[in-house]
Amino acid sequence: MSSQYIVHETDVLIIGAGGAGMRAAIAASDSGSSVTILSKSLLGKAHTVMAEGGIAASLANVDSKDNWQVHFSDTFIEGVYISNYRMVEILAKEAPERVRELEEYGALFDRTPDGRIMQRAFGAHTYRRLCHVGDRTGLEIIRTLEDQLLHRKVKVYDEVFVTKLFTNEGRVVGALGLKLSDGVFHYFRAKATIIATGGCGRIFKVTSNSWESTGDGLGLAFQVGAELMDMEMIQFHPTGMVYPPGVKGLLVTEGVRGEGGILLNAKGERFMQRYSPKKMELDARDIVARANYAEIMAGRGTEHGGVYLDITHKGADFIKKKLPSMYKQYLDFAGVDITREKMEVAPTVHYQMGGIRVDPETTSTNVPGLFAAGEVASGLHGANRLGGNSLADILVFGKRSGEGASNFAKRSGFGSVDESLLIAEMERVKSYLNKDGLNPYDLATKLEDTMSEKVGIIRNGNDLNDALNIILELKMQSTKLGVDGSIRYNKGLLQCLEFPLMLIAAEAIIRGAIERKESRGAHARADFPKKDPQLRKNLIYVRAGDEMKLEWRAVPELPDDLKKLVEPEEY
Amino acid sequence: MELMLKGFGEVVKTVTLRVRRYDPEKKELPKYMEYKVPVQRGMTVLDGILYIKEHIDPSLAARYSCRMGICGSCAMIINNRERLACQTQILDLGKDLIKVDPMGNYDLVKDLVPDLTKLFRNHESIKPYIIRQEEKVTGEFLQLPEERELYSMFTECIMCGACLSACPTMATDELYLGPQALAQSFRYIADSRDIGFNERLNLLDSKHGVWRCHFAGACSDVCPKGIDPALAIQLLKGMLAKNVFVKYQQKPAKIGPDRKSILETAQS
Repeated sequence: MSSQYIVHETDVLIIGAGGAGMRAAIAASDSGSSVTILSKSLLGKAHTVMAEGGIAASLANVDSKDNWQVHFSDTFIEGVYISNYRMVEILAKEAPERVRELEEYGALFDRTPDGRIMQRAFGAHTYRRLCHVGDRTGLEIIRTLEDQLLHRKVKVYDEVFVTKLFTNEGRVVGALGLKLSDGVFHYFRAKATIIATGGCGRIFKVTSNSWESTGDGLGLAFQVGAELMDMEMIQFHPTGMVYPPGVKGLLVTEGVRGEGGILLNAKGERFMQRYSPKKMELDARDIVARANYAEIMAGRGTEHGGVYLDITHKGADFIKKKLPSMYKQYLDFAGVDITREKMEVAPTVHYQMGGIRVDPETTSTNVPGLFAAGEVASGLHGANRLGGNSLADILVFGKRSGEGASNFAKRSGFGSVDESLLIAEMERVKSYLNKDGLNPYDLATKLEDTMSEKVGIIRNGNDLNDALNIILELKMQSTKLGVDGSIRYNKGLLQCLEFPLMLIAAEAIIRGAIERKESRGAHARADFPKKDPQLRKNLIYVRAGDEMKLEWRAVPELPDDLKKLVEPEEY
Repeated sequence: MELMLKGFGEVVKTVTLRVRRYDPEKKELPKYMEYKVPVQRGMTVLDGILYIKEHIDPSLAARYSCRMGICGSCAMIINNRERLACQTQILDLGKDLIKVDPMGNYDLVKDLVPDLTKLFRNHESIKPYIIRQEEKVTGEFLQLPEERELYSMFTECIMCGACLSACPTMATDELYLGPQALAQSFRYIADSRDIGFNERLNLLDSKHGVWRCHFAGACSDVCPKGIDPALAIQLLKGMLAKNVFVKYQQKPAKIGPDRKSILETAQS
């Protein structure tokens, strides 16, 4: 087989076409750069479409007292004081602007009676703050951004998987991609590159994430020396479907609770009264998720191992109007009519708060020429993310990322890469087309089982160490993967390519979880159940040779004007 | 021995998935291959396809992503009807033989994977964005809930392409805009914030536009999101017919308070 590839040149290259990537593409294009965006799936099928509840922005259309300061304090406090304050400040200040912009692009929103954008209540937000489109906000955002992309003549290559980033004297100068549909290699030369590949939920067995969320960008960036941060912080959403198994883990939007849904155990008790008497079902996600988990563990779970979520008291008309997708989802997949029956739900892996460490202003990483935005980046959500803040995140930091990369591109030229490196990488990819290799699906299953069983919602040192040993063993085996078939549209080959990157994410999560000997936000240790004031720090993951090294770094101190907005941390 | 998928419970029965296979590299005609799949309660056709990939033949190509009927990747023809594989329960089909074909009216990439270029190209051609005259918009567009309802249904399109596959007109006119793009053009024209009717007029009023539709209604019949593209096309025909006598007038929606002033109040 000859090693041929097609070369493209672009000012800004964006890897990942979810909300963050598309918003970055729009911004970079508006800043006057040529833009190329790559998508692992078809354009518009990204995980963002699965977002349901809404975008958090203090428009104050419904609750006039809301403003950016309250949004700031809600986000910072629920991030358990390890968020980057500047990122939170930017988010709170710029989210309203980004939402209005989306509306001008043509996004549909639920409306107030006088025609303004409607906002709903959500967990741990002081005011009704989430701008929404029923319970399919993500789909509307993706569609709107996608249409804007087409409008701007951004170059789109879909069903392209990036296998490796290339550097020249430490600067990222290009990426090699494999087009799935025809098996042709493409080398993209870029002055600046943005990683917007989303999260790594797929390394867990029970997750609300789509098949694509394998954390590719984390691994690609780490391999060229980008620092990761707070990877141990994995959010469990309190309410995922438990039955039937094909949809296990699928999200039941927090909007159900936002619209008045209540949680009950098998005995019919509204148990949140015991865990959070003040905020009840609408407390932060880590608290509600652990409450659900505790009820199930205490033997007060339902037939399929969940708790009940009940919204029947709101009436059929209300439910069908406010939560149409949820109504259909339960009817189609579980045969349950949620206007008459209770839903069964349990915690599910939902979001990665950690990720690539970035600069708040431009989203640049520590590697020149490399930027990151969206779920793959870290710093904003700290130890726990509020619902609605991720859709705000992708718009606010997607835009900043596009502008940051565009400015970098204007100051830089193209960098060269030794062709032999490209050929070696293509040979590596093709070497997986070997039917005697290890079955990638088997190894991926082992990884998913390990993560869900040993690195779950409540962790302990022994299980974590076991998990680390299994991951290191899988790492050895990952070089021997192989699948039958040709290079054309071979999802088995794709699994072979994703797997080593999934392992990088898994290793980081486990190493961080071992290192953080306390319970903070989403990270809960049975053997260290208390929060430790000494550990109000960020964990940084650095690549040293082929090893992963961990370092503690101080959280940036709040300036006085922001300090006034948040109460001091309690221990 | 039959492999069971963990957690699904007992095997209720075994069905045969009769899947159309085609690999353009092999220079062979498409052929049907049969796979025995043990069915447990709750298994969807997508679960069945994944079972084949993981346990029988990993080379079977199919598209899938979200598994909850919102990304629109896995549309295919299941027992002679376009459906989303992730949203179709095997037991609900009530058959022991399940025929799985790739969607029609598209070129094929491989097996169950169609080339959807046509779908995306047509969608792009109808200018799927708000068209306004203002140089720079300063505030939120106001839209009343009842104005929103006029086009709300058509925003639920997940671009799975099932309607184009089912459309008999699409089968005879390669250049026909098709139900997806036409419904989307209605979505924007009916949006009170948009005044782009005249800009989209020539395309809609062409010989590959709305008049090609002879109202078979297959698009609305198969849409997995319950959208009614056929209705949108008939409404467009009505608007075009009126436009012959009186030039169609669109009044743009009002704009709310200036964004700057809101930001300043928020920060003070």
